[in-house]
Amino acid sequence: MLQPGKAVKVTIYLSDGATHHGVPLYSSILDFLFYRGVAGATVTKGIAGFGADHHMHAAHLVEISDRLPIKIEFIETREKIDAILSKLEELAGTGLIEMQETTVAKPAQLSKTKQPLTPAHLKIEGHAQMMRIFVSEEDQWKSKPLHEALVEAMRANDIAGVTVYRGILGYGAHRRLHKDKPLTSSRHGSIMLSAVDTAEKLRAFLPLVDQMVAEGLVVFSDVEIIKYAYRALETETIPTPAQ
Amino acid sequence: MKEEFTASLLRVHFGEDDRWQGHPLHEAIMAKCQELGIEEVVVFRGIEGYGPSTRIRRSSHWSFSKDAPMQMSIVATEEQVARLTPSLDEMVAEGLVAASTVEVIRYSRS
Repeated sequence: MLQPGKAVKVTIYLSDGATHHGVPLYSSILDFLFYRGVAGATVTKGIAGFGADHHMHAAHLVEISDRLPIKIEFIETREKIDAILSKLEELAGTGLIEMQETTVAKPAQLSKTKQPLTPAHLKIEGHAQMMRIFVSEEDQWKSKPLHEALVEAMRANDIAGVTVYRGILGYGAHRRLHKDKPLTSSRHGSIMLSAVDTAEKLRAFLPLVDQMVAEGLVVFSDVEIIKYAYRALETETIPTPAQ
Repeated sequence: MKEEFTASLLRVHFGEDDRWQGHPLHEAIMAKCQELGIEEVVVFRGIEGYGPSTRIRRSSHWSFSKDAPMQMSIVATEEQVARLTPSLDEMVAEGLVAASTVEVIRYSRS
């Protein structure tokens, strides 16, 4: 939660129509800020503007207004911004990011305390934990499927990896209605998410799980990580061809 | 409501064509779990795998093969596991049961 005093205001300039993994870029960035526990963010749409390419983009009545400017603004502490800036730069792509010192006179109220910031994921080895989350396929969170929201939240929090499984049959605490009728069970309704990371990272993520999962089961077990490699790392180690 | 406790996680592996007294094995095991009051059971169908007999199980749309690898995840208390194990011994003719101790957080409405 923001405290009165020194803070930093970040403004990101994008163009409407830019997408990231098939969704509008601004919503991707907004999701990222949200799941990383930023105090608040606002997206505004410009009516005209131009960017690095010096093309004028304006909303005219007669033509389809395309690539209008979009501005995302948020205010946070310096430490928090330092922790998310590199990921933000990556997300913003060709857009411009501006930061300015500001002073919070009065913070917004009713902001819930979010999970502490976790460092970006590093190579993990040895002792770790597996977190399995059992939910129902019909569960929603902010009008999107809960399992999708959880995956997005985990990605924003740099959890090393997660896989979603759809069960073909099952029942659980939240489907207890069927208890009086044995063998009546919801089909295509069981979802299990399986995530592996260090105990600290997973524990730090739990407050968000608390908030998002209304009904379900979360199971922790100790695991040993034998190998964790990802493609970005592999391409860096490819030997350069002989000169 | 949020509760935290320690429990067991059982994973039962077998084939989709395995049966018990005429019922598909996963349905039979699930019925047994419900009878014991076990709260969380999910059945997964794998896309490929092999088991003790080293026969590769594959679910294919073309051959309508029913022999896909199956996995059941069962979260239960020690006491429920002790009561379920004899039934599993009896019902699973060919397969594998793996158990681990887990920490559980249960979320439920009201």
